[in-house]
Amino acid sequence: MKSFKYTITDPVGIHARPAGNLVAEVKKYASSVTITNPAGKSAAGGKLIQLMGLGIRQGDEVTVTVEGADEDTAAPALENFFKSNL
Amino acid sequence: MTLDYRKAAQGVLDNIGGASNVASAAHCATRLRLVIRDNAKVNKEAVENVEGVKGCFEASGQLQIIFGTGTVNKVFDEFIAISGVEAGTKEAAKEAAAQKQNPFFRAIKTLGDVFVPIIPAIVASGLLNGVLGGLSQAFPALADSDYYAMINLMAGAALSMLPILIAISAAKKFGGNPYLAAVIGYVMIHPNLVNAWSVASMEAEGTAIPVWHVFGLTIQQTGYQGHVIPVIIAILFMSALEKWLHKHVPEMIDLFVTPLVTVLVTGILTMTIIGPVFKVVEDWILLAATTLIQLPYGIGGLLIGFFYAFTVVAGFHHMYNMIEAQMVSENPPANIWMPVATAANVGQGAAAMAVAFKSKNPKTKELAMPSSLSAFLGITEPAIFGVNIRYRKPFIAGCCGGAIGGMLASWFGIKATAYGITGLFGFLITTGYWLQYAIVMAVSFAVAFAVSFITYHDPEPAPEAAPAPSPAPAPSAQPEASSDAEKTGKVVDVYAPLAGRAMASSEVEDPTFAAEALGSGMAIEPSEGKVYAPFDGTVEMMFDTKHAVALADSNGVEVLIHVGIDTVNLAGKGYTPHVNTGDAVKKGDLLLEFDIKAIHDAGYKTTTPVIISNTDDFSAVKALKTSGEVRPGEPVIEITT
Repeated sequence: MKSFKYTITDPVGIHARPAGNLVAEVKKYASSVTITNPAGKSAAGGKLIQLMGLGIRQGDEVTVTVEGADEDTAAPALENFFKSNL
Repeated sequence: MTLDYRKAAQGVLDNIGGASNVASAAHCATRLRLVIRDNAKVNKEAVENVEGVKGCFEASGQLQIIFGTGTVNKVFDEFIAISGVEAGTKEAAKEAAAQKQNPFFRAIKTLGDVFVPIIPAIVASGLLNGVLGGLSQAFPALADSDYYAMINLMAGAALSMLPILIAISAAKKFGGNPYLAAVIGYVMIHPNLVNAWSVASMEAEGTAIPVWHVFGLTIQQTGYQGHVIPVIIAILFMSALEKWLHKHVPEMIDLFVTPLVTVLVTGILTMTIIGPVFKVVEDWILLAATTLIQLPYGIGGLLIGFFYAFTVVAGFHHMYNMIEAQMVSENPPANIWMPVATAANVGQGAAAMAVAFKSKNPKTKELAMPSSLSAFLGITEPAIFGVNIRYRKPFIAGCCGGAIGGMLASWFGIKATAYGITGLFGFLITTGYWLQYAIVMAVSFAVAFAVSFITYHDPEPAPEAAPAPSPAPAPSAQPEASSDAEKTGKVVDVYAPLAGRAMASSEVEDPTFAAEALGSGMAIEPSEGKVYAPFDGTVEMMFDTKHAVALADSNGVEVLIHVGIDTVNLAGKGYTPHVNTGDAVKKGDLLLEFDIKAIHDAGYKTTTPVIISNTDDFSAVKALKTSGEVRPGEPVIEITT
């Protein structure tokens, strides 16, 4: 299991478009990806509705957990994705 | 009430005969999909009583256990963990399910799988053939030109090399090496052999056909131009032999021993036994098909034209590709099957079009019209399954049109130069028979349209009552409904959640929604600030910011209603929710109120996209209404599971 923390810079937070992009990114990997918001609520990275339901805004620090066969490649790739897109 | 996923998975496993009885496992948005080895060991009632299971039924060779969105994946993970069954993809589960179908249908499906991938090559050749024929009829001088000679070479290439194409495609299907297969295919049409098309004329002239004397047999040195079944059988054998050799030959010498032995043994067997025997089998099948279609007075065409659509429904129309490939590979190409198929397809299209004109139900109209048009272009499934079979009489009307048109087609003796194309585009491969082909289509159309128009009446009660989703906690009613639907693709409607003006997603002034990046659907510019439930189901998520609500129904359809563009920034201002996450709702329940004026004053649009957020889980998601006024409760999106 791998995890990292990231503070959201996108002005709308993880909502519609950014959320959709994130779901598409997560689906590239076999590992299961969990996103946890500052309140401790978690959502599966592949589920748009759950993800948007976390209500993550700009400035929130999220925890991303990656677990599965390809976690070693998926975790750094996702971290990069967060940095350049969210 | 959190579900104990491990307990649920264990409960399922205990009641289906344990891990050893599971051939493969996968899951979709809502269901665990298992392929079971021995159905007798499954206790469906007990499975349904496992906590968390919302229903259990058998469909398309799979045992499907409904858990619902968000739950099924967790149960699945536990299931894999405790059973040790290898996780399969959805495709793998479907594939395994196909294995369980009866051998006859499997054989037919295999034939289809071999012939469908090579259609582009046949179409290219056939179209060149047709166009070249048409042009040289119009401009006779063309036939002597070098351009003609050059293009004619291309037109003939795919057909004269057909055994090689079939060999490659068959090897891919059977798991053999496609390059070795190409070698076998080439052996069968090697230029040193007497061309199969010349055999008849040589015999007529009294020229002796050279023979080999091997293994005490006398083998004619003739090629297999225009033959398909011997090639398929040869490659089936080759693939099996190659796989066996890979397994048994020591790795050190596998690289050269396996290809050598594979080609040598397959080649010898093909020339001596497989080829001669299956050439005869193939000649019989072809003779049967051509005799049937050429029965006097067009009776053959009449029969085939009538029953053609039934065979599409039963799924053995895949076999026709093979018959047509044989006919096309005769010299000159003489596909007399295709015009009859066209008659049948146009008939179904016309029957659906009559429904579109006569029905007063806007939903039926909107479904029937495009399906009928696609039938005229050769894709009949939407018209047959979506419209005609549902109302029965149009289906029979279509068959009648097909019968009369088929009769004419066989009377006229129309010959097509390719296969894989029917309907309007068929003109391109029926050069020389344009008038006859047009008459066949016109008559099929007229007969089917007339019969359908006269016999069709809108059913009462309205047909959309049937697929209306049942409320989530109704496990007893659900299985039958779903299992029945699984076979044909169940159709589920999402109803308008607001009053206002309907628009296509592409008209929404937000790139994400316009591109349908979050799922397909439509949008409504609201005239009243009230959101109603679009179906019976549960509130998956009432967002903290109240500007969006997501719901799921018992079929696993997840809909997201996003009130306004960028309104997440309002942080709930102007929105009054009436339900909470997790609530069960009935279609038409008030979910949310919002203040249109306040939102506009704050500088935001109230355009409300209504999208299916798990579009990928369904075979089709179609917007039914993208313009004009809508009222809550009107169907706006149709989902085919």
